[in-house]
Amino acid sequence: MARKLLLFPTAILLLILLAFGCKQKGQEHVGDGASKGKKKIAVVISTLNNPWFVVLGNTAKERAEQLGYEATLFDSQNDTAKESDHFENIIAGGYAAILFNPTDADGSIANVKKAKEANVPTFCIDREINANDVAATQILSDNYTGCVELGQYFVKKMNKKGTYVELLGILGDNNTWNRSKGFHSVVDNYPELKMVSQQTAEFDRTKAMEVLESILQANPEIDAVFCGNDAMAMGAYQALAAAGKADEVMVFGFDGAKDVIDSIQEGKIVATGMQFPKKMARMAAEQADEYIKGQRDFPQKVPVAVELVTQENIDKYTAYGRQSEP
Amino acid sequence: MKNVYQYAVAAVIVVLLGYFSLSFENLNDVKEQRRRATFNAAQYARDFWDNQLFRVIDQAVEGNELIELFNSNMSEAIQRYGRAPGVSRNYAYLIKGQGAILTINDDFLEISTRESQRHPEIKILTGFYIPGNAVRDASGLIDVSTFSDTMKFNEISGEINKIIVKEVIQPFLDKKPKAGDPLRFLGATRVAQDATEEKELQLIEVVPIRLELDAS
Repeated sequence: MARKLLLFPTAILLLILLAFGCKQKGQEHVGDGASKGKKKIAVVISTLNNPWFVVLGNTAKERAEQLGYEATLFDSQNDTAKESDHFENIIAGGYAAILFNPTDADGSIANVKKAKEANVPTFCIDREINANDVAATQILSDNYTGCVELGQYFVKKMNKKGTYVELLGILGDNNTWNRSKGFHSVVDNYPELKMVSQQTAEFDRTKAMEVLESILQANPEIDAVFCGNDAMAMGAYQALAAAGKADEVMVFGFDGAKDVIDSIQEGKIVATGMQFPKKMARMAAEQADEYIKGQRDFPQKVPVAVELVTQENIDKYTAYGRQSEP
Repeated sequence: MKNVYQYAVAAVIVVLLGYFSLSFENLNDVKEQRRRATFNAAQYARDFWDNQLFRVIDQAVEGNELIELFNSNMSEAIQRYGRAPGVSRNYAYLIKGQGAILTINDDFLEISTRESQRHPEIKILTGFYIPGNAVRDASGLIDVSTFSDTMKFNEISGEINKIIVKEVIQPFLDKKPKAGDPLRFLGATRVAQDATEEKELQLIEVVPIRLELDAS
């Protein structure tokens, strides 16, 4: 009897809690930013274990602060689950906008959607999500075209023949495949250029060194290594140097990171594709500011051109950009 | 009676719990979403080539005029004729002209558009494959924002370039052109905004859209 008496009000209580807990559309207060003082912008970066992404995150944060916001940097550590946690905290924390470097083109969509439903606009930087109706805008490096140009230079430097290795980035990142496909769209037209191995080193310098060391054991006579980012290019160069092959094997990277720019200046690494993390980060912060002030008309995808940096034109470039730009 | 009342309330609770826990989508909508997710770049490029490109080729600028503008006022050239998807130092242009073939090489031929000029101004790509996005971008017809995944946007260029090799370049080469032959061309070129900073631009590279030996 007592149990039956308890069951009914408990069920009603559960029902009430569920009704308020499930559908939260239309709640306007989330995303209004801090209720007093400065509005807040969150900067969520895929990993701060890579100097290129540190520049991306810090530049976005600095620009947001220059525009009058309180900005906080979040490191997703290449983990989509951690990224989800950040989004939960950001939404609950009343941030006005998110500057976002996704960990996974598909896996990150749900996070951006959650933010959108909470009226927190997301501005993707450098990497895209495979959706064009959830982010406010996506500012992306044109990796494919950048690697078409790199591929053309590669063919020229290889004199249209030879063997090479490709080190891929994170397999769930669209950038990995845009770069690889751009490169192969050129290089695969030359049958005397043979790829002897293609493996992922997950954009990581240490992994790249280990992977290439292993590859060199099976393929000691290679002419070049194409790496999907500069961190891997540095790791590859280290592996080649340890094997006494640094002068014989050409290394190509992609990013425009400081250590590779320095290496190109020193005549070591042959070329890279200069992305412009500072430009992209500033654009994202400025567009977030415009959005908060009422602007809504943003193109969904904004490709930012990548420029080929070689030992011939290195004097025009510095780490993460051009000499002529801040 | 009391039991009937309790069961009724419990039933209502179960129904409401189910309503809040499940979402129902129209099966046709789901199928449509999946269909859209399957992208055929070759088909897209074919439609672009057959049904869209003709709408803009009248906008092609005479080669002489364009090169002169590059050298005298690059900003104006960009503003009036240049196209770029997003943020770039390179702009794509639709370009046309006619002139005499000066040299024929493995992957390109060079022409001069001025009778008195013996130096080439135009380098027309005629290789077995064409790299890059010149035609896609110069047309201004394809918006990157309409693609959920930019790889689809990139694949279109590859397919357009295959059409160019097969349907423009190969038939032209089959006619065995030689130095001195007059030809007409229409195509796309990409030029960097700082291409004239240090010296005059004298030779621009063109991906052909139309290429004809000039019978007249």
